[in-house]
Amino acid sequence: CISGGLPKPTNITFLSINMKNILQWSPPEGLQGAEVTYTVQYFIYGQKKWLSKSECRNINRTCCDLSVETSDYEHQYYAKVKAIWETNCSKWAETGRFYPFLETQIGPPRVALTTDEKSISIVLTAPEKWKRSPEESSISMRQIYSNLKYNVSIYNTKSNRMWSQCVTNHTLVLVWLEPDTLYCILVESFVPGPPRLAQPSEKQCVRTLKDQTSALRVKII
Amino acid sequence: DGVAVLPAPQNLSVQSTNMKHLLTWSPVIVPGEIIYYFVEYQGEYESLYMSHIWIPSSWCSPTEGPACDITDDITATVPYNLRVRATLGSQTSAWSTLQHPFNRNSTILTPPVMEVTKDGFHLVIKLEDLGPQFEFLVAYWRREPDAKEHVKVVRSRGIPVHLETMEPGAAYCVKVRTFVKAIGRHSPFSQAECVKVQGEALPL
Amino acid sequence: LRRCLISMDIHPVEETFQEIKKTIQAKDTFQNVTILSTSETLHSIKPSDVCCMTKNLLAFYVDRVFKDHQELNPQILRKISSIANSFLYMHKALQRCQAQRQCHCREAATNATRIIHDNYDQLEVRSAAIKSLGELDVLLAWIDKNHQGTLVA
Repeated sequence: CISGGLPKPTNITFLSINMKNILQWSPPEGLQGAEVTYTVQYFIYGQKKWLSKSECRNINRTCCDLSVETSDYEHQYYAKVKAIWETNCSKWAETGRFYPFLETQIGPPRVALTTDEKSISIVLTAPEKWKRSPEESSISMRQIYSNLKYNVSIYNTKSNRMWSQCVTNHTLVLVWLEPDTLYCILVESFVPGPPRLAQPSEKQCVRTLKDQTSALRVKII
Repeated sequence: DGVAVLPAPQNLSVQSTNMKHLLTWSPVIVPGEIIYYFVEYQGEYESLYMSHIWIPSSWCSPTEGPACDITDDITATVPYNLRVRATLGSQTSAWSTLQHPFNRNSTILTPPVMEVTKDGFHLVIKLEDLGPQFEFLVAYWRREPDAKEHVKVVRSRGIPVHLETMEPGAAYCVKVRTFVKAIGRHSPFSQAECVKVQGEALPL
Repeated sequence: LRRCLISMDIHPVEETFQEIKKTIQAKDTFQNVTILSTSETLHSIKPSDVCCMTKNLLAFYVDRVFKDHQELNPQILRKISSIANSFLYMHKALQRCQAQRQCHCREAATNATRIIHDNYDQLEVRSAAIKSLGELDVLLAWIDKNHQGTLVA
């Protein structure tokens, strides 16, 4: 194809969450409606040559999963993509150096809540690292980041007050809460170090049970 | 380079509190004219390895002065040389250099401002946001004879943090000080603040 | 023998580098060469050699890299100066450690250090300096991982 006959794809970046590394880009400007296809290559910093990924050759979509190719998270990588249309193709559009260990977003933990009259117990399960197949054994992100912590935010909807707690272990029991009150919990994983995009968990709300002792008192009177 | 006819700024000094550093000097007065000042700095690295290198201050090259916030320039715990010169059009004064290099480990650390509240039986503290370099050592205890003092390190800035679940009817006291890891120093403790928890409804 | 650890909070240095990383790395056009060569060199260092290796790496940057790099952009210059002065502070802290005989240098650390200097010498000095600056994220991540503790010095 005639190189440079098309404008380059734009906004080429890695979207990385729990080491699932997706290369994504925007179509070249001015080619709306054209049947453009794309070809991707990647490069391991310090190695010798660019490598192709067969599943991302002449594709229509504007993303390519490079998780397998960039799975050694202690290495660094580049990727590039070019647009092809009929006999023309663009020059390569290239990413900056991508360092999964420092740049992957840490997903939120799984949050399980159980409650009784005056307490809520929170059980957190660390997010899992991306894996090649469901059969592969799971690796927790904590095994990669030993200093992984959680920021737990607790919102009392009755008093309209919020407070937070930074925890490192997996269970947290909030005691002496107000009975029959709706509490909302939000949890965010974070790793101390260079700033990293964060993904908070879904907000979960749970109501503490009615106070049985006051119910009993009413009966007795 | 303009001819140095303007007098050089005098009385350079640095006031530093809670890791905020302000360089001040006596203004150069030329009636009816606005004088601009250029501030430059040199860390110990530059003075040892590349002494010809002076770096323009982030916020004061130029400035109308006679003060300059150099907090964003003093970013390591080493001695820094600082210099200032005045300009008026093409006229430029000589450089005036701070007599003694400034090291941020001399900053004055003040007791932090805190707000102690409770949400039902939960003791909650909110601390002023002094910036990312500050940790807070929060000491709290139940007000009773021979009370055991608990200490918690808090890093979250400006967000209420849960300290303790309190026993009904008890009173709890809190005091806090800052710790700056970069210079390895604490502030004095704040005054203690106490809160009392409502008693539990008496069982029948 | 207590290991000599840097308590200095490395995170502000990591944040400072993060602000200039893309600009610095974009100037490094030799993608097929590395200075710190991640897996082979740094990750083979045992805990007992961490102190000496850290001191050698800081000396490498303080004595060679920062001196060989010439920066015209004032914003970039400020950030590099901040990192250089922080490295100087850490290096002096580790030198005090060595004086207290808590930072022994064995063959493994010495060999790894020589590999890094050899890699540096393979390139023209300006290219070598900009490449080394571009690999500061690797070094800082390694220091952060190996020095999660409190200072002895």
